[in-house]
Amino acid sequence: MEQVERLLKRTLPFQVVSPETLDGIAEISRHEVFKAGEVIYGAGQPAEEVYVLVSGRVAHRIDPDIKARVHEKELQVGDVFGWAAILEGEKVRLADVACIEAAEVLKIDGARLLELLRKDVNFGEAALKSFSQLISQQYYLPPSVSERVPTTLSKVGDTRTPASNEAEPQTASAWTLTMYRAGEWLRSPDPYLMMVGFALMLGFWYLTVEVLKLPRFEDLPGLTTVVKEWFAEDPVYGMSIYTAEYYQHIWVSIRRVAIAFLLATALGVPLGLFLGWSRSFREYVFPVFELLRPIPILAWVPLAIIMFSGSETPVIFLTFLASFFATALNTMLGVESIDESYTRAACCLGANRWQVFKEVIVPGSMPYVFTGLQISVGVAWFSLVAGEMVSGQYGLGYVINTSYTMVRYPTIIIGMVTLGIVGYTTSAMVRVAGNYMMQWRLREMALGGR
Amino acid sequence: MSAVLEKVRTQGNEARYGAIRIDDVVKIYDPEGAAVMAVDHCTLDIKAGEICMIVGPSGCGKTSLLNAIAGFHDITSGAIYMDGEMLCGPGKPKADPGADRIVVFQNGALFPWKTNLENVAFGPMMQGKLSKKEIIEKARSMMADAGLSGTEHNYPGEVSSGLRRRVEIVRALMNDPKVLLFDEPYRALDSLTRSVMHESLLDIYYKNKVTIFFITHDLEEAIFLGHKLVIMTTRPCRPKKVLEVDIPHPRDYSVLTSPRFRELLEETASVVHEEARKSFASGEKEG
Ligand SMILES: Nc1ncnc2c1ncn2[C@@H]1O[C@H](COP(=O)(O)OP(=O)(O)O)[C@@H](O)[C@H]1O
Ligand SMILES: [Mg+2]
Repeated sequence: MEQVERLLKRTLPFQVVSPETLDGIAEISRHEVFKAGEVIYGAGQPAEEVYVLVSGRVAHRIDPDIKARVHEKELQVGDVFGWAAILEGEKVRLADVACIEAAEVLKIDGARLLELLRKDVNFGEAALKSFSQLISQQYYLPPSVSERVPTTLSKVGDTRTPASNEAEPQTASAWTLTMYRAGEWLRSPDPYLMMVGFALMLGFWYLTVEVLKLPRFEDLPGLTTVVKEWFAEDPVYGMSIYTAEYYQHIWVSIRRVAIAFLLATALGVPLGLFLGWSRSFREYVFPVFELLRPIPILAWVPLAIIMFSGSETPVIFLTFLASFFATALNTMLGVESIDESYTRAACCLGANRWQVFKEVIVPGSMPYVFTGLQISVGVAWFSLVAGEMVSGQYGLGYVINTSYTMVRYPTIIIGMVTLGIVGYTTSAMVRVAGNYMMQWRLREMALGGR
Repeated sequence: MSAVLEKVRTQGNEARYGAIRIDDVVKIYDPEGAAVMAVDHCTLDIKAGEICMIVGPSGCGKTSLLNAIAGFHDITSGAIYMDGEMLCGPGKPKADPGADRIVVFQNGALFPWKTNLENVAFGPMMQGKLSKKEIIEKARSMMADAGLSGTEHNYPGEVSSGLRRRVEIVRALMNDPKVLLFDEPYRALDSLTRSVMHESLLDIYYKNKVTIFFITHDLEEAIFLGHKLVIMTTRPCRPKKVLEVDIPHPRDYSVLTSPRFRELLEETASVVHEEARKSFASGEKEG
C-alpha cells in the first residue's frame, strides 16, 4: 500500500492531493500485469478506469479521427493514461494502448476517483486541473478534450463559492500545505531517528555519571537528580517548574532577545538591502562592516558596560549586535543572489528604480533574509547568555553563572536545557513565519521544484 | 486557430511599427582592459512586423547585440534605430530600456514570487497607465486568449516550463510592445514541447503583429519561424549570410516536411556548421 502511494505521488495529477485523498486513491487502485503484445484497451471501448504505468513499455496511439498534434507516443513509467474515464460526457477510450514489453499498471476506478478528488476541498481542484494540463500538454490534444475534465467542485455540497472568491482558497491551501508537510514529516523515519538520538544521549549521560561513575564524570549532576530537581514541588536548590523564579528568568531572557532581535531586524534588513542594491553605498559602508563583524561579542562586553548604564541595556546591546551583523550580511547576499534577468525584465516592463527595489529586490532577497533571521535568533541567544553572565540581574545566563558560583549544579543543567528548548522554539517560529510569508517558495518546493 | 489563420490570410501583415535598423554597431567589452570584441561592424535591417531569426554559434555575441537593442548595455560605436528614431548611437551610447522593446529571457524571468496573473499585470501596473481593475480585466482576457485560463493564481514554479514561457510572452504583450526580443527562450525545453511552443508563438504572433528578433542556435527552428534568417559569424559577430525564407505565412507543422524547407535547410546547414567548427576550434564559451 505504501509503495502504491509513493508511486502515485510521483505522478503529475496525484502529487498535489492531500494525504487522505492519496490514501483513498491507493485503496481503490488495483494492480494488474500485462504480457508483451497484449492490448490494455482499444479506442471506442467504454472507459471506466484510469491507469498508471508502474513498469514496462507501453505504446499509446490516439484514434486518428481525433485531432491531436502527436498521435503516437511511448508511455513513461509514472505516466497516467486512460483519463477518458473521468471526462465529462461520453466515457469512451480515445486511444489504443498496447504493451511493447510486459508491463505492470495500477487501475483506478474513474467514478470513485472523481468522488475522492471532489472530497479533497483544497487540492482536488488542482489535481483535476493538472489532469487537463496533462491531456493538452503530454497527449497534445485540443481544448475540446482537455476541457472535458470536470473542474467544478461546488457540486458536492461545498460551502465555498467557486472562482468569485479568490483570496480564500489560497490561504486555505497555505494552511493545509503546512499541515501536509507536518504529516509528511511524521510519516517519514525522521522523528523516530530523532527519538533514538535523544535516547542515546540521555543513556550516555545516565550511564557515565550515575551507573559507571567514570572519573571526571562523577562530579557532574546526574540525569535523575536533574529531572527530580526540575519537576520537584519543593526543589532543593530553589528552582523548578513550580517556582515563580524559574519563569521570571525565562521571561526576562525572552524579552531581551525579542527586543534585540526586533531591533536588529528593523535595522539590519534595510541596511542589507541598501548594501546589496547601491554600489556606492556599499563602497562606503561595507569595509567598516567587514572590520567590525569578526570581532567576537565577548570583546564588546567592556565597551557595552562603559557605554550603557544599568544592567539591562548593555545586555540588550550585545545581543542586538550579533543579530544585526548576521541579518544585514545575509540580506545583502540575498540581494546579490537575485538573477540579473529579473531586474532587467522589470526595467523592460517600465519599472523605475524605486519600483525595481520594491517589486524585485525586496521579494527576491526574502529567502536569504529568512535564512539570516534564523541565524540571527541563534546568535542572539548565544550572545545573550554571554551578556547575562557578565552583567544583569535575571535571565537564564545569569542563572547558569550564579548557580555555578553557589554550587547548585543541577540548576545549571536546568538552565542549559531550558535555554535549548526556548532557543529552538524561537528559531522554529522564525522558520514558520518565513514559510508563511513565502508561499511561492513553499508551493514550489511542495511540487519538487519543477 | 483556423479562424485566426483565415483572418491573417486575408488581411496580411499589418504591423506598421517596430522596424529596427542596426547600423555598423560595434560592441567591445572592457575596452581599456581585456577588450573583448563581441559585435563587429554589424549592419542589419529588420522590417516592421517581421520575424528575424538570428543563428550563430555559442558565445559569438548574439546576446550582446540583443542587450544593445534592449538597452541593457552600451555600444562602442555605430547606432541602432527604431522606426527612424535613434535608440542609441553617437552621443548616446546606451538605449533606455522600455516597454516598447521587451525581452523574453533564455532561462525565463517570470517573477517566482508573483502569481501568473500578477506577473502578466506587472507592466501596466508599473507604468500606471490604466486603473487596477482595467489591468486585471485585460490580463485575464489576454491569458484566456493564450489558453492560460485556470493558471492565474498559480505561481510560475507550479506550472510546466512550456506554460511559463507562454505566460512570459503574454506578460510582454500586455504592454503593446513594438518589438519582442527572444534570447534562446526554448533552449531548455524538450523537442516535443518546443514544437508546441513554436505553434503557440506563431499563433500569438498572428494575433498581435509585432516585430520579432529571435536568437536561436537551432537552424530548423529558425527556418520554421522566420521571415528572415541571419547567420552570424563566430565572435565577433557580424551577419555572414542573410536569407529571406520564402515559405508563406501562416505556417504550421506541415512546413517541416515540405521540399522547400529541406532545400533551405541544406543551403544553410553547411554555413552554420562551418562557423560552429571555427567557434569550437577557438574554444569559445558563451557569455
Ligand atoms: N559582461 C561581459 N564582460 C566581458 N565579456 C563579456 C561580457 N558578456 C559577454 N562577454 C563575452 O562576449 C562574447 C559574446 O557573448 P554573448 O553575446 O553572450 O554570446 P552569445 O549570446 O552569442 O552566446 C563572449 O565571448 C563572452 O565571453
Ligand atoms: Mg546568449
